[in-house]
Amino acid sequence: MKNYSLFLLVGLLPALLLQGCTFEYKTNSVDDEPFELGDMIEPFDPPTLEELDKEVTWEDGLVIDAMKLDFEAQEKMGEPPINIEEALKLKNKTPEDNEKILDTLGRLPESEEEVDFDGEMIRHTSAELKSTNPLLISSTAEFDIASLTSFGLFSFDRELKPFAAADSVKEWKRSEDRLYDKIVMRDDLLWSDGKPITAHDIVFSWRLIMSSQVPVPAVRSGTDKLKWIEAYDDYTLVFFHPVPLATNIWNVNFPIVPKHVYENSVAEDPTLQTSPYHVKIEEKPVVGGAYEIVERSVGNRIVLQSREDYYMFKGKQVRDKPYFKRIVYRIILDPAVTLQALMSAEIEEAILTPEQWSSNTNGGEFYKHNTKAYGAEWTYFYFGWNTKTPYFSDKRVRQAMSYAFNHDELLNVLLYGLCDPSTGTFHPQSPWYPEEGLKPYKRDLKKAEKLLEEAGWVDSNGDGKRDKEVNGKRLDFKFTILVMNRPDRVDVCNLLSNNLKDIGIDCVVRPVEFTTLQQYTSEHKFQAFFGGWGAGADPDTSENIWGTDQERNYGQYSNEQVDKLFEEGRKEFDEEKRQKIYQEIHKIIYEDQPYTFLYTRNAYYGFNKKLRGYAFSPRGPYHYGPGFSRMWTPLK
Amino acid sequence: MDQTDINLLPPEQTPEQGTAKSPGFWAESWKRFRRRRLAMAALIFVLFLALVALFSPAIAGRKPIVVYYKGSYYFPAMGYLKSSWENPIFYKDRFYNRYPKSLAEKDPDSWAIYPLYYQDPYERITEDEYPGQPANPYGDQGSPSWNNPFGTDQAGIDVFAQMVHGTKIALLVGFVSTGLSAVIGIIVGALAGYFGGWVDMLLSRLIEVVMCIPQIVLILALLAIVEYPTIWHIMAVIGVTSWTGIARLTRGEFLKLSQSEYVVAAQALGARPGRIMFRHILPNALAPVLVPITFGIASAVLLESALSFLGFGDANAPSWGKLLNAGRGNLSMWWLFFFPGMAIFFTVLAYNLIGEGIQEATDPRLKESR
Repeated sequence: MKNYSLFLLVGLLPALLLQGCTFEYKTNSVDDEPFELGDMIEPFDPPTLEELDKEVTWEDGLVIDAMKLDFEAQEKMGEPPINIEEALKLKNKTPEDNEKILDTLGRLPESEEEVDFDGEMIRHTSAELKSTNPLLISSTAEFDIASLTSFGLFSFDRELKPFAAADSVKEWKRSEDRLYDKIVMRDDLLWSDGKPITAHDIVFSWRLIMSSQVPVPAVRSGTDKLKWIEAYDDYTLVFFHPVPLATNIWNVNFPIVPKHVYENSVAEDPTLQTSPYHVKIEEKPVVGGAYEIVERSVGNRIVLQSREDYYMFKGKQVRDKPYFKRIVYRIILDPAVTLQALMSAEIEEAILTPEQWSSNTNGGEFYKHNTKAYGAEWTYFYFGWNTKTPYFSDKRVRQAMSYAFNHDELLNVLLYGLCDPSTGTFHPQSPWYPEEGLKPYKRDLKKAEKLLEEAGWVDSNGDGKRDKEVNGKRLDFKFTILVMNRPDRVDVCNLLSNNLKDIGIDCVVRPVEFTTLQQYTSEHKFQAFFGGWGAGADPDTSENIWGTDQERNYGQYSNEQVDKLFEEGRKEFDEEKRQKIYQEIHKIIYEDQPYTFLYTRNAYYGFNKKLRGYAFSPRGPYHYGPGFSRMWTPLK
Repeated sequence: MDQTDINLLPPEQTPEQGTAKSPGFWAESWKRFRRRRLAMAALIFVLFLALVALFSPAIAGRKPIVVYYKGSYYFPAMGYLKSSWENPIFYKDRFYNRYPKSLAEKDPDSWAIYPLYYQDPYERITEDEYPGQPANPYGDQGSPSWNNPFGTDQAGIDVFAQMVHGTKIALLVGFVSTGLSAVIGIIVGALAGYFGGWVDMLLSRLIEVVMCIPQIVLILALLAIVEYPTIWHIMAVIGVTSWTGIARLTRGEFLKLSQSEYVVAAQALGARPGRIMFRHILPNALAPVLVPITFGIASAVLLESALSFLGFGDANAPSWGKLLNAGRGNLSMWWLFFFPGMAIFFTVLAYNLIGEGIQEATDPRLKESR
């Protein structure tokens, strides 16, 4: 039962796929107002458990030990196609090679004797932590650490199906109408300071998240859709949902912090980060997960160590022992430096860029310590158009942009033929992708010019540049595209700029720091930008990208039909009908082109030869259950 | 200049009368400078770069230098210097920047003279775009070859073409930013040195304050604020932050020269301070000031490369530093850093040699040591 990476935040999933994604810091705090815990929650008088049991028809929810399932699945797979020595020697050049490497090196250990439990793994992360408090996480770097150190009730598997984790949950009952979720927690759970983890911690964490003075950057979306959580005793609690929705299950999943640690200190310092007491907690947080932070040097590294009191309870082993004793995170920002570190075994795993995958990792220098593997990841990249600017308010202009761009050059030259074209918000392998398929845009200058002319963008003054009369003034078609300051991404925008020059449009490429990009886009202060999104575990999470006035709808796209369909999708319980709804959304967005969809990127990883057990999900090798917990090293 | 003014001039600058003219200070210096082979070679190299920059559209590009089309002559290559200089007719006739084919299709009687080297600094040349020229290789396949003597970058864009067009920026940055800093530096230094007292006190503190501003940080901050940051903004920032060395030297020279007889004479005759400073003292103080100016050009070129290397330059314009940055991503593509690295090295070296040459040619104390 190794499920310590189970805790994943659904609200976070469609995160900007850049080097760690930051979200706006929203704080409603007013200095002279007294702190009130859970002031954003509507008062509610919950029924007693007996009343509830009488009224509600309960169904069993899925309580799963994801590791055990993986072990069972492996037993059915039979012998690996090649042996380990062969797999370590094999160079990953074809999809068949990749299959062989994953099927051999990606296996779980046959028995516990094989595993080096005292081992250490050095992981790579590309950004510094802003906080070690799981309530305050906002980027993939913090998310990565939190997934190993935090305690959680729910998770989802490789197919992104939600389940309750058997590591922490004894019993999960769902009401037939999905209005209530009843959880009975296990009674052998301990915080790292030795106090038991109880239902009251969960209620407290929810109330803390829902306090307007606590500057929660990301995790409030989801918890704000809960009506109430009631702890009936130390281990039994019920989640109350306001309306019966298919997506209710995703709202019960949020980070949990110890009540006894923050209970008395939060009123004095609602930021949870500034008072001397909170600074001390921030240095050495009290955690409920399999690992705890033992060392942290800012900008350099973070060291985690496995907790004995996580898997041992009163002298008995109650959960699986983590496969690594220590996990060291090295913080390296630059992709080129990261690869160097991987080659010299200073780090033991890292994401590879398409360029690195296809041209810098084929030689003996790379294969000396490492091997590499990839898996399909539901991640797409796009040019986002700000639909509230005079340039891109017209759908025809946005379509023209997609026709003007040389997609073949991007896919074959800039991306080394390693990525597939994207047509919209859902990945072609996902069930939400239209069954009949959609044709990716191809460069067609004639069509692009025709659309632009229809939209009124013509060269009226004969200077070779398109213009249009907007509010009585002649406006030249000249806009800026923002892009994160990395050569490979700037190249993509330069290609767009050159392509548009051919049809009389000026496009200025402006590389900026990641945080600047975040700020401009979230404040809608841009005309166009280059970005990427990862997949949410549930299609409903895309609503905050496409819904009118939604948080991450940077381009301010608005289509009533899309809004309505998202609404319907939430209410639909029939899986197949639900899929149809999201397929419809995909088609509408394809037609409207609020983005020019570019490509979906696979997850390309380099792994040290000592590592075993990696397996890819649509969210990469780590971010699902069991994910990272599958990884192990053999005894020498 | 009116009559009375001539009489005000210090004796050594009055027009010679009568027989053979003895060589002036600048002629003498130039003579001495010419004798220094390295300095002369450096000067010739810089002039050569200036020519390359000026004629870059004719050296490498895909737009014809001259084209005869539908009965008129056009010069579309000018579009490389400023995009609006490319004749709109080619846009209107839907050339899409592909001249060889479009010309043949749209006007069989047309003819065109193409640049010496048919490659574009912005885009990859594709198959059958120019008769007999294959498509550019891309990825790490673009090592130097007959078609691309300096190789191509990851996106398949020719390195030589980028370097030729990048020369413009390298030279512009040096001259414009140092020109700006020279103007500021000389004015501030002159005022401080000539007036002395509290003016000097104030300006010297100002110099010290400006010296404390870290240039790179200021430039990065500026790039984050300005909506359309271009190379001109960078030049301006380099200019307004790097004048302190020049100002200090000028101040020293002015302090010394303001005590000399001809200045006292000019003051006695009632010349205004501005006139004394810039008409009388400055020409005599200029020689030592020229030296930090040339060194300043060298460091500005380096700074621009460093910024592009960090990815903060003008993303749309080809530049040497940008090539270096592309090379950093893949160290096996040696041609991406070798050629631009050499270009930066030699350009900076040339300016330093020129600076040294001027220093030694104008400093009378070094006459013997020559």
